[in-house]
Amino acid sequence: MAARGLLLASIYLSLLMHECYGVTLFSSLQKTLQVTTTTKRGQVLKAGEDKVTITWGLNQSLAAGTDSAYKTVKVQLCFAPVSQKDRAWRKTEDHLNKDKTCSFKIVEKPYNKSLQTLDWIIESDVPTATYFVRAYALNAERHEVAYGQSTNDQKTTNLFDIQAITGRHASLDIASVCFSVFSIVALFGFFFHEKRKARMSQQK
Amino acid sequence: MEVEGRDMASIRGDTDEPRKFDLPVDSEHKATEFRVLSTAAPHMRAFHLSWVSFFSCFVSTFAAPPLLPIIRDNLNLTATDIGNAGIASVSGAVFARIAMGTTCDLFGPRLASASLILITAPAVYFTSIASSPISFLLLRFCTGFSIATFVSTQFWMSSMFSGPVVGTANGVAGGWGNLGGGATQLIMPLVFGVIRDIGAIKFTAWRIAFFIPALFQTLAAFAVLIFGQDLPDGNFSGLQNSGDKQKDEFSRVFYHGATNYRGWILALTYGYCFGVELTVDNIIAEYFYDRFNLELHTAGMIAASFGLANIVSRPAGGMISDITAKRFGMRGRLWALWVMQTLGGVFCVILGQVGSLTASIIVMIIFSMFVQAACGLTFGVVPFVSRRSLGVISGMTGGGGNVGAVLTQLIFFKGSKYSKETGITLMGVMIICCTLPIMLIYFPQWGGMFCGPSKNITTEEDYYLSEWNSKEKQKGFHQSSLKFADNSRSERGRSRVNTTTIPPNQV
Repeated sequence: MAARGLLLASIYLSLLMHECYGVTLFSSLQKTLQVTTTTKRGQVLKAGEDKVTITWGLNQSLAAGTDSAYKTVKVQLCFAPVSQKDRAWRKTEDHLNKDKTCSFKIVEKPYNKSLQTLDWIIESDVPTATYFVRAYALNAERHEVAYGQSTNDQKTTNLFDIQAITGRHASLDIASVCFSVFSIVALFGFFFHEKRKARMSQQK
Repeated sequence: MEVEGRDMASIRGDTDEPRKFDLPVDSEHKATEFRVLSTAAPHMRAFHLSWVSFFSCFVSTFAAPPLLPIIRDNLNLTATDIGNAGIASVSGAVFARIAMGTTCDLFGPRLASASLILITAPAVYFTSIASSPISFLLLRFCTGFSIATFVSTQFWMSSMFSGPVVGTANGVAGGWGNLGGGATQLIMPLVFGVIRDIGAIKFTAWRIAFFIPALFQTLAAFAVLIFGQDLPDGNFSGLQNSGDKQKDEFSRVFYHGATNYRGWILALTYGYCFGVELTVDNIIAEYFYDRFNLELHTAGMIAASFGLANIVSRPAGGMISDITAKRFGMRGRLWALWVMQTLGGVFCVILGQVGSLTASIIVMIIFSMFVQAACGLTFGVVPFVSRRSLGVISGMTGGGGNVGAVLTQLIFFKGSKYSKETGITLMGVMIICCTLPIMLIYFPQWGGMFCGPSKNITTEEDYYLSEWNSKEKQKGFHQSSLKFADNSRSERGRSRVNTTTIPPNQV
């Protein structure tokens, strides 16, 4: 019963911690940042090898002072709608705490008024999917206050594909085959041994 | 009847040489006591070998679900792919369990279980090199065959332990094996974490992690082959050679199993305790994650606790079966089974209805205890349905459990027809309905839930010897059934055992 109590208490605590974060809605954010990528349509990039050049900054046509609250910029890799289909763990939600669209952080830097560029080598744990890039501007309390993305509002333009690494190695392949063969051979070895023992005891 | 062996005097069966056992045994040399902390050969050793090997199969079969967040990204799986793989993982064992039952009857549980475990081990090794949704589904399908070792576990326990403790032995072995499904939710993420910390990248670390359950499975099979023994007196092959055990005929064994209606009823009802348990293993983490917006690892911990309850709940079911049998015999076992399983259904209905997290967890734990106890109680009845075709009956019942899992997931938990909470409530209603057929089980020598034993004096011998024809009886093939019938007289319950005269031994 004590173990049950501990389990319940820890679950309560983790729930409470969720409630402490502010509830920021994506729809309440202003689209003030401009984000561009150097990818071409139909291009398939390889995780762990290829790089994407990302440029972000404030939309220059906006009034001065729009960015007075911006302290940090968080640039993230986000799933395009086609890669979210039938995959509830990548669902888009308005509550930013629950939103799973942008699961991979590319970089987080202090906000700078001038245009920023980054040559990002795609990390090896990025799955095979279609993506776009989004940048969030955070204020001093680390809440999102504005954003920008490399695609349009319907998320249909300027998407790019990434091909994940397989994670397989020749050594794993060989080990799997060897152990499997060993299991089967050992089984037949045991059968053979049993039959021989039975035959020998019959002869006695 | 029972032979008190506490002074360790030599026990004479029908064999010439006296044989010493560490535990008290009956005339079939089955242990009449269950000492869980002992490893005495052959009884308790068989118990430990069977539950550990069965545990390893459960760990392998359910090793993928806790690592799915990594695997689904590596193999580019959709929710449909994952759902189909989940159904595939439990559907393979449907026919495998029936085949396993027959194999046990013919070749003995030691060879049957070790063979299956070693033949399915490659599927676990090859999971390390899976590269697509299809290969993932096929590998989960093949790995799932290994949980047919449940049947060999129950068969082995029913061969090693006598009536008064067979429910307990079956319940503990089954429960501690099923534990693997809960333990794997904790083991695999741990192993994955260690490998990743050593330096492997995510998409390689999960692949390496699968070698652990695979190796465990291989070693468990070796242990069964080296240290295990089919029967208290030896292995099937040895006993068949020395003439102490007759080699039986597959068609007769299968016929007597398949034509016993009680096997079919138990197959149906087991689908709605064990099948429900498998279904819940597959859906409960997602249910808590989605409905209460928990973190995935928190939902996983709750999911694990459902499976971990098996450590006490299923053995408790077996023990309750044996305790009620002491007083009320087989009728008590049937009543206890019906009551526990129906209550499981009631709490399942409640689980789908409650809206708060705390209440859901509490109801889920109560639900798990009743449903898993019902599994233990079912295998308090199964050993008595048939003696000649014990394996086939165990296999049918076990296979029925998996059929229940497949059906329930297909009807209530595939696609978006029902919300998960509605699905759970409807599953509870189905449990209650599909448990009613227990009322139809009737043993002429002991009775059923509502009727007493038959008015024409029917004995245990009449029931168990009806499985052998006169030609087979002439050759003396029925001797072990005779001994079993004698030992099963305790199923009459306390009131009848002492008053009825025991018929003379028929030779």
